[in-house]
Amino acid sequence: MKKYLIASHGHLASGLQSSLEILTGMGDKVSVIDAYVDDHDYVPDIKKFIEQLNGEVGVIFTDLVGGSVNQKVMLEVVGHENVLVISGTNLSIVLSVILEADELTKEKLNGLISQSQVQLVEAPNENSEMSDDSFLE
Amino acid sequence: MIAQLRIDDRLIHGQVALVWTKELDTPGIVVANDNAANNEMVQMTLKMATPTGKKLLIRSVDDAIKVFNNPKGKNMRMFALTNCVADALKIAQNVEDIDGINVANVGRFADKSEGETHQVGSTLMLSDSELEALKELTKLDVPVFQQVVPSNPKTSISSMLKK
Repeated sequence: MKKYLIASHGHLASGLQSSLEILTGMGDKVSVIDAYVDDHDYVPDIKKFIEQLNGEVGVIFTDLVGGSVNQKVMLEVVGHENVLVISGTNLSIVLSVILEADELTKEKLNGLISQSQVQLVEAPNENSEMSDDSFLE
Repeated sequence: MIAQLRIDDRLIHGQVALVWTKELDTPGIVVANDNAANNEMVQMTLKMATPTGKKLLIRSVDDAIKVFNNPKGKNMRMFALTNCVADALKIAQNVEDIDGINVANVGRFADKSEGETHQVGSTLMLSDSELEALKELTKLDVPVFQQVVPSNPKTSISSMLKK
């Protein structure tokens, strides 16, 4: 059984899977849908993913809220309370969810999401050098 | 005490550091690396990769050994990192209190001019000298294993070397 599905416009999904494999060796933990790269109808793939969960908790990552992939996912998820959908997916949230050891709940997921935001990154300007003593305190 | 000595060619990186410090319950991270100890740019990137709320110490391998042997740190759980086997071996030979050595990722970004590399596992590509260091490491009285992330099983390095 796969607990995670990443579905995106184009190759973002398989690209995230590739990053996940490089960082954690856990690329095989996720199913992926690269939508619209060919004529393949991916809706049955979403259905299949939800079915094989057999009522257990699963997560579907989509790329854009309101995008067509996300819409198709939402239509299939209706009535399946065990499936959680995350949108605006980035590598950080995929890693956090897959590396999370505790059982996933909505609260848990909200916590992981708040720690996985895109951000403006600036070089730290403090030149604080830690001494052995302050480290060992 | 060293809760885990991890060999990782990327030293500290993102979520992987986050899950390990959580898993090992280590408030302190020590990077033992001569280059990092002398390079402010590397120090900056390591600081940025340190999970919020964790203390970070960057030291040369020799200075890190002094920290590990400091009686003040006896009860402090430390997560130690090196980027090569030779550095880890030096630490293991000079520090008594180590719970385990995790040979996670080695040699993938190494300079290939040292000649042929030996592939020990999918994330371990070792030069001759690194392979020798790894063999030495497994002779010590400390568990030496590979576990990339906590949900992976531990694989003993001795069994990987036999293949």
